[in-house]
Amino acid sequence: MSKFLEIQSVTKNYGAMRALGGVSLNVPAGSRTAIVGPSGSGKTTLLRIIAGFEVPDTGRVAMGGQVLAEGSNAVPAHRRGIGFVPQDGALFPHLNVAENIGFGLARNDPGRQQRIEELMDMVALDRVMLTRRPHELSGGQQQRVALARALAQRPKLMLLDEPFSALDTGLRAATRKAVAQLLTSAGITSILVTHDQAEALSFADQVAVMRAGLLAQVGPPAELYLRPVDAGTAGFLGEAVVLPAQLEGGWAECVLGRVPVNDKLRSGEANIMVRPEQLEWEDVAATAVGSQGDPACYGTVTDVDYGGPICGLTVHLKDADVDTAPLLVRSHGIQVPSVGATVRISVRGQAHVFAGT
Amino acid sequence: MQAAPEPSLSLAHAGAGHVARVAARRSSFSWAAALALGVTILALVPLGFILWVGFQTGWATASALIFRPRVGELLVNTSWLVVIVVPLCTLLALAMAWLTERSNLPGARWWSGLAAAPLAVPAFVHSYAWVSLIPSMHGLWAAVLVSVLAYFPFMYLPLAAALRRLDPAVEDTAASLGLTPWAVFRRVVLPQLRLPIWGGALLVGLHLLAEYGLFVMIRFDTFTTAIVDQFQSTFNGPAANMLAGVLVLCCFVLLGLEAGTRGRERYARVGTGAARMPTPAKLGKWTLLCLLLPAVTALLSLGVPLVTLGRWLIAGGLEVWRWNEILPTLGQTMFLAIGGALITVAAAVPMAWLSIRAPGRVQRVVEACNYMVGSLPGVVVALALVTITVRIAMPIYQTVVTIFLAYMMLFLPRALVSLRGGIAQAPVELEYAARSLGRTPAQALWAVTMRLAAPGAAAGVAMVALGITNELTATLLLAPNGTQTLATAFWSLTAEIDYMRAAPYAFLMVVLSLPLTWLLYAQSKKSAGR
Amino acid sequence: MKFSLSGLAQTLSLALAAAVVPFAASAQADNGILVYNAQHASLTEGWAAGFTKETGIKVTVRKGSDTELANQIVQEGAASPADVFLTENSPAMGLVESAGLFAPLDAATLEQVPANFRPAHGRWTGIAARTTVFVYNKDKLKPEQLPKSMLDLADASWKGRWGAAPAGADFQAIVSALLELKGEAATAAWLKGLKQNATPFRGNSVVMKAVNTGQIDGGIIYHYYYFGDQAGTGENSKNVQLHYFKNEDPGAFVSISGGGVLASSKHKAQAQAFLKWITGKGGQGILRTGDSYEYAVGAGAASNPKLVPLAELQAPKVEPSKLNSKKVTDLMLQAGLL
Repeated sequence: MSKFLEIQSVTKNYGAMRALGGVSLNVPAGSRTAIVGPSGSGKTTLLRIIAGFEVPDTGRVAMGGQVLAEGSNAVPAHRRGIGFVPQDGALFPHLNVAENIGFGLARNDPGRQQRIEELMDMVALDRVMLTRRPHELSGGQQQRVALARALAQRPKLMLLDEPFSALDTGLRAATRKAVAQLLTSAGITSILVTHDQAEALSFADQVAVMRAGLLAQVGPPAELYLRPVDAGTAGFLGEAVVLPAQLEGGWAECVLGRVPVNDKLRSGEANIMVRPEQLEWEDVAATAVGSQGDPACYGTVTDVDYGGPICGLTVHLKDADVDTAPLLVRSHGIQVPSVGATVRISVRGQAHVFAGT
Repeated sequence: MQAAPEPSLSLAHAGAGHVARVAARRSSFSWAAALALGVTILALVPLGFILWVGFQTGWATASALIFRPRVGELLVNTSWLVVIVVPLCTLLALAMAWLTERSNLPGARWWSGLAAAPLAVPAFVHSYAWVSLIPSMHGLWAAVLVSVLAYFPFMYLPLAAALRRLDPAVEDTAASLGLTPWAVFRRVVLPQLRLPIWGGALLVGLHLLAEYGLFVMIRFDTFTTAIVDQFQSTFNGPAANMLAGVLVLCCFVLLGLEAGTRGRERYARVGTGAARMPTPAKLGKWTLLCLLLPAVTALLSLGVPLVTLGRWLIAGGLEVWRWNEILPTLGQTMFLAIGGALITVAAAVPMAWLSIRAPGRVQRVVEACNYMVGSLPGVVVALALVTITVRIAMPIYQTVVTIFLAYMMLFLPRALVSLRGGIAQAPVELEYAARSLGRTPAQALWAVTMRLAAPGAAAGVAMVALGITNELTATLLLAPNGTQTLATAFWSLTAEIDYMRAAPYAFLMVVLSLPLTWLLYAQSKKSAGR
Repeated sequence: MKFSLSGLAQTLSLALAAAVVPFAASAQADNGILVYNAQHASLTEGWAAGFTKETGIKVTVRKGSDTELANQIVQEGAASPADVFLTENSPAMGLVESAGLFAPLDAATLEQVPANFRPAHGRWTGIAARTTVFVYNKDKLKPEQLPKSMLDLADASWKGRWGAAPAGADFQAIVSALLELKGEAATAAWLKGLKQNATPFRGNSVVMKAVNTGQIDGGIIYHYYYFGDQAGTGENSKNVQLHYFKNEDPGAFVSISGGGVLASSKHKAQAQAFLKWITGKGGQGILRTGDSYEYAVGAGAASNPKLVPLAELQAPKVEPSKLNSKKVTDLMLQAGLL
């Protein structure tokens, strides 16, 4: 069952507005997928179509070989057996925690109470909270109860709609890791929707970037980060330095000098991308700036943003035009140049060429 | 907050300043508390006097007056009325609210407005219209029909607002947990609607107990109609007061029921962020059938009164518009309405102030007392005031003062609700900011808080003025001889079955009520957006 | 919604000013009299207009019902601003009289009214009269089926077939006459029958309308409602006829509307003049020519020609000052009517 969830050419329009313009995605069983994109990109709509709360206009959704939606025919949400954890948990306000978790379990099931307690342990919540009401819990606790509630159904597929956005930053990373491990060890295929790229990159085996109702790129996190398909995707997944360049046999001539690129066959004009952490800086004396013909790249530091472990330097290149944007260089915090210092910039690794530009 | 003290200030100075500030705040609040207590004690006087009259008449007479077959009859009538009308209103309001808020009913916005509109027609005008249409209508079922048509908007408005406010993510999640749509409605939506259902039921129940004109015209005897009959025959005799006592007990039973079932639940949306708009349910082939419900309701609750009024007005022609009688009546109505509203809102200010700026146990008790008195029928309050003024305050008997007092007692809760919303718009921090910018406390109060609370106060004045315009029983009993309001003029004309000449008065009452109904409707839509 | 406080204040003061005008207009003029009036407004206003025209004395009228105004006068006591009290029925006059609040009327006034239309003590007088009738639906009742006496209506055979307005002062006056004529036991029994058989309405006109539409076969009301409606559109009396009980039956009771001058009045001369005018040619003439259709009681005064003459009615003899409204309401309370 390599293709557990298949989404084929799904479109959805709300009146004149196009929410999804033909999305196709395959999710392998037991994997974690993150759908990431800016607000309004259609990612929540896609999730709701998978869950069954919306019906696609055209396209096909199938899970484990069973067709869930084809064109306008759809299996209703309450028959799909797909777990759903919405933003903010959406706990039933009139029930306590135990009743929330056990909501989908049969009332007269003898093992019900035991299962509820198991689930509480699974999401690392103290059993004493079972009698509390949702408004007596913190945001993080509510989220975990929502997860337990969805897990109670033993779903094969779990959908999470920005589940960590309400948590404190410190809590977010730890919770994310714990949830990822929980889902994987339970063998549950999961799809996470988020607008936070760091979250997507760390949680998922497969990242799908959505923009304006279409999937820009789908693939493993490293692939998307190091080899994004266009400048928009590159910029969405992190800081990117995009430069026009002349390509020739695996090398590019640009304001950074002569930089190796990952496309040996392409030649001519193209845009290339380097990540700021690929740029290395070296303090040089102002007089050491080479004469014309020196292949190295020199610049002046105009701003230092000290951030502890990682700092950002703004560097204006010497040979660049006045209106060229300054370079963003990442540096470790042990030693930073002072503002006004002259530095030499070199590139580590290869620059990435955007196909088609 | 306060401007930073200069470095040269000693710690003692800063401490003293702090203590002085706290003391000043306490004294200003105790002034408000004293005023609020004063108003409350005044408002509790009717209850006190009914008890006192009860003691005075002696247990033997009182029990003979209370435990007699007629009272049993009235109790049975009144109980059946409440027990049948309230659930019917709930069902109708729930169905209409669901159709207009959660389904793709065509013209939902219009149906929503039409569902709130019957509030603009006073209850006794509803029954006037039905009795003109079908003169032989009388008894329990006629009363049930007209009551449901007149009072269901009281439940529709809060139910519609609550349905709008529900978090659809909760219902989606319930569906993902395997619940069919009906089960989702039963187990997830309805429990969250408990508060507005019980609140609305209480409101409708209290209105049923207090209503006079509607039931007189449809010939159905309740406690209130009997009390007014008694008053007209025996004046403030003990029999009338005993009936009033039983009626007050019924009111308290209703209040107790509502408080008991409401519990300490908090059904506000849990979590942060804005709620998503729910997807409307598709009616599909049921659309035509579902359209029938709001259409028939609008026809019966709006169509019948408006068409009947129109018929009478056309039949009467220009003759019935006797301006030399109508204008003074209109003028007196507006005088009583606006004057009464201003007095009521002014009396409510200390209490509203306390509840926002200094909530506490005393404030809660005070509010509960006023809420209880405001729930009493107009006839009981009027009767008590008549008894008191006749025995110990002759100079104000049958004067404008007494009737304003009655209006204040009856409508204080309405004024309180609007005022509270207004004062809450002006958090105390704004006042402090104004003071730090150089205003004295009194100036800050006027410039900031009063300005921001003014729309709330104005809304309160409008609501109370409207209530007074449509008020019948207390005005009948207390108005100074020679004063006529639109309601009492309408009433005396319909008593002579001069329906044609009564029509202009009914028309004017509806016209005056329309702005307020629109206000109520707009406010309920706004509050859901938060 | 933007509210300008000054704008609001301006509107309010305008409204208040406009509203106070009618109050000011109705304030008592110095040389005028204040009448507490429980009679039909149109009749009293006719009297007031005629009186003012003839004498120039202004008359201010306060409207109310019999019991309400009587009780108000009693409560106000010596401080009452009223000069004259006019009613529809006698019991209310009795209430004020027993509190000792009436002044003796001028002999000249009393002479204008025959002795059977006023109480013996002369502290108030009759000003008009109305007779009890049984109004019935022509199609539902044949003359043979009509009740011979008002007391028959308490029989089981009349269950659900007739109606009245027991909460009103008019009907309570009729019951007070029954009490005076037949005693407490008979009245209590009849009231019990009333409770079982009769449909209660609020207002005599409503009773007549119900008879007209056939809801009930008949009802006990006063006569003038019929004539008044007939003179108008007739829509509420098309199908009805009046039945006069005669034979000095309690159902033939003629209720006397009373008028008196308050002892506390500060305009006694003018008040007495008003009462003299009402009981004289001017006032009684209005009863004949006007649209109130009540009986004239003045000596030699003829009533409206449409009415059955008083002399033919064979009304029972009842001393008007003996009618006790309090006892009546007590009995009605016991019967479960109030």
